[in-house]
Amino acid sequence: MEQPAAAAVAAEQEGMAQGEDLLHQFERILHHDPLIDEVGFLHPTQFQSLDRSQTGYSTSESHEYTQEYLWCRDHKLAISSEVLPKLYRTARHAYSNSATAKDAALLEPDLMSHSKALLILCPDMLTAWNSRKMVLSVSYDFTKLKDELQLCTLILSYSPKNESTWSHRRWVIKKVSEHHQDMSGLVERESLLVKEIAEKSKMNYRAWRHRCWLISYMTREQVLDELKKSARWNELHVADNCCFHYRRSLLLALLDSHCIEGENSLDFKSEVHLLWKEELRWNEMLIRRYQGRESLWIHRRFLSQWWVEFLLSGEEMECCAAGTSLIDLFLSQEIYLLSDCLNVPADEFGEACIQAELAALYILWISKATP
Amino acid sequence: MGCLRFLLLLMQKKDSFESLVMEHIRLNGAYWGLTTLDLLHKLDAVDADEVIQWIMSCYHPESGGFGGNVGHDPHVLYTLSAVQVLCLFDRLDVLDVDKVADYVSGLQNEDGSFSGDIWGEVDTRFSYIVICTLALLHHLHKINVQKAVDYIVSCKNLDGGFGAMPGGESHAGQIFCCVGALAITGSLHHIDRDLLGWWLCERQCKEGGLNGRPEKLADVCYSWWVLSSLIMIDRVHWIDKDKLAKFILNCQDKENGGISDRPDNAVDIYHTYFGVAGLSLMEYPGVKPMDPAYALPLDVVNRIFLRKRD
Ligand SMILES: [Zn+2]
Repeated sequence: MEQPAAAAVAAEQEGMAQGEDLLHQFERILHHDPLIDEVGFLHPTQFQSLDRSQTGYSTSESHEYTQEYLWCRDHKLAISSEVLPKLYRTARHAYSNSATAKDAALLEPDLMSHSKALLILCPDMLTAWNSRKMVLSVSYDFTKLKDELQLCTLILSYSPKNESTWSHRRWVIKKVSEHHQDMSGLVERESLLVKEIAEKSKMNYRAWRHRCWLISYMTREQVLDELKKSARWNELHVADNCCFHYRRSLLLALLDSHCIEGENSLDFKSEVHLLWKEELRWNEMLIRRYQGRESLWIHRRFLSQWWVEFLLSGEEMECCAAGTSLIDLFLSQEIYLLSDCLNVPADEFGEACIQAELAALYILWISKATP
Repeated sequence: MGCLRFLLLLMQKKDSFESLVMEHIRLNGAYWGLTTLDLLHKLDAVDADEVIQWIMSCYHPESGGFGGNVGHDPHVLYTLSAVQVLCLFDRLDVLDVDKVADYVSGLQNEDGSFSGDIWGEVDTRFSYIVICTLALLHHLHKINVQKAVDYIVSCKNLDGGFGAMPGGESHAGQIFCCVGALAITGSLHHIDRDLLGWWLCERQCKEGGLNGRPEKLADVCYSWWVLSSLIMIDRVHWIDKDKLAKFILNCQDKENGGISDRPDNAVDIYHTYFGVAGLSLMEYPGVKPMDPAYALPLDVVNRIFLRKRD
């Protein structure tokens, strides 16, 4: 009976040694190539088909064993799914040890390297993100914070909905904003990142939430610019409600007090009203072009509801004798749109039918919103 | 229902990578699984002492919060789950109630919002979590309720719904949190019930299931978020309950038990809980009724609040 037990212990020890080898190599790869922009968790058969004639990290030090499971070239990293549990467990263990170590300052490089390895394998590990925040909080270092954004970008490239990563990203940006007056460059790059992620990950609430959150850091010019730039994108993604919500947030930001304060406030206001009219016109064009899209009609509900409230508030009165007649005019245009949508001949996909339903619901909505 | 077998199976399987990477939210998983068991009258199938001992091993006595598992940092997300599970077993007595209440109430910000932990991420979900936790512990007075309500109201959109932050897109999950928080604090008058009811009813898709936002597919978990919100604002009669119940039952794995997000997908504990909870809100036979605001079985909530009144 003693022999099998001894064999089991030996096998376990070998397993642990392999795990440590793997983690060591994994962290070495991450350290040597800070520009890795893609991670793939490959099935062993897929992994075998990779060209392994000269892997990027192979040096005299590299181990036969780990080469079977880790691969990196041209900033692309591949991990064989076969070793994921082992690698994860080892990384988890190494991270815990360095996080609970007494002499924290001394082990800081270890903590950063182990938590990074762990988070790439499991980005939900909130506690590991927190350890990083702790280290980064000690003294402000812009370069380190930029590296942190890079790590988040990498993880979001394969885990675009990961909440802990988005949250950590916002924490980093907040930190940067405490030390930098001009956030425009950073905000622009963040907005671009969300756009790229949104192309691959449809209707990603967390990504778009991030973009809406950025608005509070934007200048008025930037908000206007974002509106201009997002129009074309939205035309290509008319089924994506998130991208229209983003426009709604941008439009509302322009009306926000901090944007229209000051001597130019009158000009700013009339500029927004022109934009609003233009948005209504653009949205109608899309509604007529793309039949039966819920997100387009929801956008119209928002635009019209605000527009009616604005007309009722009477600010436009001075240019027209009767404010109410402006509303009547607007509503009759909307009913005209409805009747057009009701009169579209039926098609084989049933889109005309959905369009008619959405149009009718829209009119009902507006009639409720208009006293 | 076959849910029981699935839940017990799930507690055994521990070594797959999927279950490994779920370890950090095991406390949420415990809440989903145990509440489901209780709704099915099967809570006695688990060893209460063992569960409570494990729950308390996730507790951080220095902060007063709970981590998602042993050795994980505290966060309100797990603190509410811990409190809810202790409510299920009627064992709030093991808690240092003041300490836990101090932890969650200490996360209120100047504008009335709440951070999820010391690192400052703000979300209307955290408003709900703190308010629900404090109400269950009879400590709502520890926060500025008026400011908390004002902040939630500031997250209301023109469509009647709520987002994660001011200006955030309306989302059924966030709406549940905001409506739940307003319900618990007696502030539902801030809601335009017809407008929000309209938005929520439009979540019902052709196949009967509910989605969480426009243009999305139906998903079992929204049965809970949407239905509970509709009940709280008294507009639940606006949707077709029979069709919804059929959709949920269609998402069952008839061989192994459990419920998935959509028909024919793989089951998981999260959707099993939300499916059963959704059925509970529709008074499905054999399932205990659920309280729409506290997300606990009604008898558990009654026990907490009626006892206090004695
Ligand atoms: Zn779901």
